[in-house]
Amino acid sequence: MQLFVNTNYNFIKWRFAAIAFSIVWVLIGLAFYARRGVNWGIDFAGGANVVLRFRDAVPLDRLRADLADASIQQYGKAEDRAVLIRLPMQKREGDYAGLTVARLNRDLNPESATGKVDLNFRGRDQITDLLYTADPDRKGTIDAAKQYYSTIAQNVINKRSELGIFRSIDQATSAPGVTAGMAGVLRDKSFVGSFNVLNQETVGPQVGKELQGKAVWAVILSTLAMGAYLWLRFDVMFGGAAVVCIIHDICVSLAFLGIINGEASLNIVAALLLIVGFSINDTVVMYDRVRENRRKTKTRMPFEDQLNHAMNQTLSRTILTSGSVVIVLIALLLFGGKVIHEFAWILLIGVLAGTYSTITIVPAVAIAWNNVTGRKRDIAGPGSRARVEETPRSEAPTPRKRKAV
Amino acid sequence: MNTNLWWKLLLIAAVLVLFTLAVIPGVLFQEPIRRGLDLKGGTHLVMRVNVGDAVRLEADQAMEQFKSQSTKNSLPMPTTRRINDSTFLAIPPAGVTAGAYDRLVADYKNQYDVSTTPEGAIQFRIKPVSVSTIERDTVSHVVETIRNRIDALGVTEPLIAPESNNRVVIQLPGVDDPARVKDIIKTTAQLQFRLVEGTSGTDPQSTLNTVPANMKNDVDILPGNRENELGQAVGTEFYAVRKVVPVTGTDLKNARVQKGRLNEPVIGFSMTTDGARKFGDLTGNNVGKQLAIVLDNKIQSAPRINSRIDDQGVIEGRFTQQQAADLALVLRSGSLPASLTTLEERTVGPSLGRDSIRQGVLASLIGFIGLIAAVLVYYRGAGINAVLALLLNLVIILGMMAYFKATLTLPGIAGIILTLGMAVDSNVLVFERIREELREGKTVTASIQQGFSRAFGTIIDTHMTTIISALFLFQFGTGPIKGFAVTLLIGLFASVFTAFFVSRVIFDMVYKPSDRPKEISI
Repeated sequence: MQLFVNTNYNFIKWRFAAIAFSIVWVLIGLAFYARRGVNWGIDFAGGANVVLRFRDAVPLDRLRADLADASIQQYGKAEDRAVLIRLPMQKREGDYAGLTVARLNRDLNPESATGKVDLNFRGRDQITDLLYTADPDRKGTIDAAKQYYSTIAQNVINKRSELGIFRSIDQATSAPGVTAGMAGVLRDKSFVGSFNVLNQETVGPQVGKELQGKAVWAVILSTLAMGAYLWLRFDVMFGGAAVVCIIHDICVSLAFLGIINGEASLNIVAALLLIVGFSINDTVVMYDRVRENRRKTKTRMPFEDQLNHAMNQTLSRTILTSGSVVIVLIALLLFGGKVIHEFAWILLIGVLAGTYSTITIVPAVAIAWNNVTGRKRDIAGPGSRARVEETPRSEAPTPRKRKAV
Repeated sequence: MNTNLWWKLLLIAAVLVLFTLAVIPGVLFQEPIRRGLDLKGGTHLVMRVNVGDAVRLEADQAMEQFKSQSTKNSLPMPTTRRINDSTFLAIPPAGVTAGAYDRLVADYKNQYDVSTTPEGAIQFRIKPVSVSTIERDTVSHVVETIRNRIDALGVTEPLIAPESNNRVVIQLPGVDDPARVKDIIKTTAQLQFRLVEGTSGTDPQSTLNTVPANMKNDVDILPGNRENELGQAVGTEFYAVRKVVPVTGTDLKNARVQKGRLNEPVIGFSMTTDGARKFGDLTGNNVGKQLAIVLDNKIQSAPRINSRIDDQGVIEGRFTQQQAADLALVLRSGSLPASLTTLEERTVGPSLGRDSIRQGVLASLIGFIGLIAAVLVYYRGAGINAVLALLLNLVIILGMMAYFKATLTLPGIAGIILTLGMAVDSNVLVFERIREELREGKTVTASIQQGFSRAFGTIIDTHMTTIISALFLFQFGTGPIKGFAVTLLIGLFASVFTAFFVSRVIFDMVYKPSDRPKEISI
């Protein structure tokens, strides 16, 4: 199968329309940001996130009453009975997620005050201690006994992870290896509390601010590094065009983030950094071809036509190189789960923007650069600068050795 | 086939075997791919060591020492006041000049900047060099202590590392009860044995009133639990305890949970030889007085000394079994020289980690199948070549991760499948180039040869740009994102090898130049 063979599109002609489109897109994004503000995640804003899964229906009213300044929203599908609790940034450093979880445990699990072990809340060590102290299987107080009970405790935790949460104590006692004696101890001295902690995060004000600075610098410096590399490998014009192209791709991606009201998080920065390196790839492919053609052809050709010709030659590659990554990204987007959903979105938009900017923004910058530096249209072939106007400008490229493009 | 090709094949086979062995659990590595905290569950903590505590302690000790030395040298005892963490004043009593203390002050000049204030007081300030030494020592002491505690908990493969700005990073894979672990890490566990003066009372002022007038400046008022006859807590009791701390937690040799009189958990401790001597002196000289057992500035209990005790004792408190066990653990592992403040915590519960793996692997599988389908449809015969290169690439990535003991994170899973996508890019570059050469009417052999050599520069460039951004990613990220950067880097190097070397060898085998192939499926 082959697509885009022997194409002869005039990309150059569309460049101003494309620039306008990009600007409108970014403006739309800006308008969204202006209206809703930037949705800073806790990575940058500081604060705390707690994700809890509940045994029964989520006691929303109770949570709202308990945590007045927190925002509480459903996490995942409704039948997961999970909520994301977000606490705003506090002025002082502190273990806010931990304190919140401890408070909710006190309020929602009154049994915990009796000294019973909460099988939905506690970890392996406490269950091991409980069994080891009661020692229903008469293993003694040797280390091997602790090991024995620890294995069983791990089985109980694994069972819980598999089910999501224990809804009854019988689910816990049906974990592999639990003997009748142990089941007795568990029934007697433990209970299944009302929630399980899926995830808790605290980012203090100081760390948040530092991460913000680090993120901005990482994106800026990597963009400049990319420009520098391409300058060394190609020329200063292409280095500059690449930087403009990367800025374009990042702006387009960020505008999209604003439109979907996505959260600015570390993962998003990771996506942006990858876009910096990846979206430029098809530009490299295209420009590589411009250079190769210049070496091969002796005839002078207007710069616009050189670009257009190279773009047509490499069109199928430009699209396919992104294509394979796009296939993967769509899979991540659809099946990768909540944690990397926005990450996949931003990468997808960034990669598409990279392809789009290769055939629109990069030639626009290159042509503008050429005009400004006064080299006008012709830079093909050695020593050709003096006779710029010799070759008439044509719509279709006219290389000497016309290839089956 | 020529010898050259055989060698290349041998190399590929060797790579395949070497990396496959690394990936199969139990052959070279018990657990080839280490899962990151976000997949395995666990806790990532960044704590600030409040080094000011240690500096303050140093200044306090010097302050007390200066007073006692004044008395020893028959100089009038100055009153002292601490101004900030590192600075204190010694104010000579009326009629005595600061100059009278010159001989004593000389001893402090190594470590302190000493000056006289306009009011005639002597100001001691710990030199900045000494402050930074104290801070550095404090942080490394904290790291050591935390490591002891974590080891006692039996966490496998923890990471405890000091960072700049007096911070400590702690990563605890597999920890499923973060609250308890954080408690254990953060407990300062400064155990002190101090004599009680006066009688305890329900508010600080009335307690202080029972202390003899000449002792009032030498005591601290500390809170403890008040209990009724049944041993239940009914409020706070305040005790006046002497500032002098004759015996501390560092004098302990061991601590463990024991059963008390009512079968309640208590902590039994034993003293080191040196500690036993100090403890013997303290208890022997003060029979009949109350001895307060102070833990982190809270009175645990204040039993009356009935007789001289040397090397054994019991700490009573209102402990649950778990609390007693945890306290014994922190006492055994030593106290922290400074308190800790949580700056950042990221904890993933085991069940979320499990969901993440499932979704990450599912998404990657589907993406992988999608990739394979796409190259097979688009490039037919040559597509098989790309698929083989892709599979080898996957094996190399996983194998390299095993050899480097790299950690697989959720973004890392995305990173693997993304690099596979990028690896296909390289195949695309080569294959498109070959097609182009064919269209120009070149022979199959020449087209393959030209296709590879012409695409080489481009492939290097596209990889270099991504490698540069992966390096920034590595520099920028922590935890999961670092894992992402690592898989990306490994994958990029692998893909140069597979797309360029392996895929070429496969072409040369299938379309042997000696056969002068007329057609190629591409």
